[in-house]
Amino acid sequence: MTVKSENSGVDARTRPVPGGWVLVRLMGPALTIVAVLFGGGLTLGLLQSLGHLPAAGAGVLTVKHFVAILGDPDFLHSLLLTLYIAATSTVVAAGISVVMALILIGLAPRNRVVHFIFQIPLTVPHLVIAAAVAFMLSPTGLCSRVVLKLGLISSSADFPLLINDRWGIGIMLAYVWKEIPFITLMILAVLRHTGMELLEVGQTLKAGRWQRLRYIILPTIFPSLAAASLIVFAYTFGAFEVPFLLGQTYPMMLPVWAYKNYSDVDLLARPEGIATGMLIALVVAIAIVLAQGLSQAARRRGIVL
Amino acid sequence: MGELILKNINIRYGGEPVVRDFNLEVRNGEMVSLLGPSGAGKTTVLKAVAGLIRPERGEILIDGYSVQDLPPEKRDAVMVFQKPLLFPFMNVMQNVGFGLRMRGEPVREARQRIQEILALTQLGGLEYRKVHELSGGQQQRVSLARALVLKPAILLLDEPLSNLDANLRQQMRELIQEIQAQTRITTLFVTHDQAEALMISHRVSLLLNGRLRQVGKPRELFYRPADPEVARFFGARNFIQGRVKDGWFQSEFGTFQVPQGFTANGDWLTATIRPEDLRVSPDSQFEIQGEIQKINFEGSATRIWVRCRTTEFVVLTSEADFFPGQNVRIHLPPDKIRIFPPDSKEFEKIEEI
Repeated sequence: MTVKSENSGVDARTRPVPGGWVLVRLMGPALTIVAVLFGGGLTLGLLQSLGHLPAAGAGVLTVKHFVAILGDPDFLHSLLLTLYIAATSTVVAAGISVVMALILIGLAPRNRVVHFIFQIPLTVPHLVIAAAVAFMLSPTGLCSRVVLKLGLISSSADFPLLINDRWGIGIMLAYVWKEIPFITLMILAVLRHTGMELLEVGQTLKAGRWQRLRYIILPTIFPSLAAASLIVFAYTFGAFEVPFLLGQTYPMMLPVWAYKNYSDVDLLARPEGIATGMLIALVVAIAIVLAQGLSQAARRRGIVL
Repeated sequence: MGELILKNINIRYGGEPVVRDFNLEVRNGEMVSLLGPSGAGKTTVLKAVAGLIRPERGEILIDGYSVQDLPPEKRDAVMVFQKPLLFPFMNVMQNVGFGLRMRGEPVREARQRIQEILALTQLGGLEYRKVHELSGGQQQRVSLARALVLKPAILLLDEPLSNLDANLRQQMRELIQEIQAQTRITTLFVTHDQAEALMISHRVSLLLNGRLRQVGKPRELFYRPADPEVARFFGARNFIQGRVKDGWFQSEFGTFQVPQGFTANGDWLTATIRPEDLRVSPDSQFEIQGEIQKINFEGSATRIWVRCRTTEFVVLTSEADFFPGQNVRIHLPPDKIRIFPPDSKEFEKIEEI
């Protein structure tokens, strides 16, 4: 006969959470690295954005660089362009992701090949995707050559400008391609966990196909869709490499504008570049906090994300 | 009005047969339990009735009409699942009124109907409560209310009590019985708990390994099981073999009269006696001698394993003063012996369970 200790039957979900100090000790090493590298860099950036630049002879803290960029029409143009590209690519990716998730959930769960193919863009770096978009969509790119060969255009100059263009189509295509799998997988996880069961309930409760989409699927996936979209928005708002490769020279997206200022030969332009970076970080932080808030609210209501 | 007929239903999952040649008739206003162990195919049958699974063969009729080609939303059957599966983004009232809203019922009538059902399911006052604020029992009651509000011809209950603790289970069982008696809604109730099935239903249908083995009133299944497998499911542990000769079942533990209608003569048959029907005594008043192998005290009764020659009998007795190794005598009351008909499953099959 085996004797079970009193604690041996404690479920992992009901096991008591370690106290505050225990947690700090357990997570201390990891937290220290994050605090020094990430927090240190952020603090240094904040100081520089406030004009603390001893190498250039500027040591007094001031908000004049923030005031300067906020009053700069170029900054405003860049901000609007960045918001437009980040919001549009996020909305398009989210819309396509919902459709993709619904298609994938309808496929057999063992259809691993489809899922594998679908996940490939997740593993490819943004830089590679930006290069691929440039290779495909530039006026001398693959698409242009195919269209030319088919006789649809008379010269490559007739091919519409899809990269380095004023509407940021190339940038958005790169982001949409890259982010669809991420949002789709977030939605799929919810649909698989509770969504399918709720759909069966809905069916027996007389909900038709469109009613199930409207009243069950969309409310069920909304928290994860919104959270994933906010994360994607935050990323596209602050990412540098794709707009650097595929964006136009004026106006630039904010991260490129910040980089340009930061790497200016005039050291005194650096605080403005850093201040732009701080504003980008602020927007990103707000988006992440909102995403977390949504996730937690959904968990409280019993929706598993 | 609600009459459900399942004719020769066959269902496969991934090529494997899950339900085979299943026939069942649930009469108007009746509560029938579909009883069986886990994996027997009970939920599969229920889902087939609801329209969530399409049988490979067979026909499902509700009120005389075949619903085979109707999607779940067009069938007059509503299912309550094992988990409450409430919509987490709706409050109690919205959950209960979901089906009415989908059917496009006028708001005023819907509200009145929801209030009636909330009162019936003892959920009055919780209309605007968020579902995650409810207890497990309340959540399952909301789930039941959500189905009842639609007044379906057939109510399908898929082990709705299995996630509740013992007290809540009892309360909920009584509530379901009360509501069923009040509304006379035709109900097919899936459970793996034999006590629950016997207590709650007008008739019980036992499903083993995807096949319907016996349908009847609770007492019939308990006291007159169709074959040894059914008997074993209902707790029978004592099986003896004997040969029928001139209307008598002759075994090494006695001779018992064969019920009328048995035509077998010279055949080997199987008989059973329930543990609680066996008599045991340390004195020599009974005819069969044995030795106690093991004792389990179970509170109101004591379970004793007694070896008599090559057979081990299980006895359930209210007396507790026995001990392992003790020599005892047992008695098989003839009126408690159940001899299985010749066409019932062979004894060897029981051992496979």
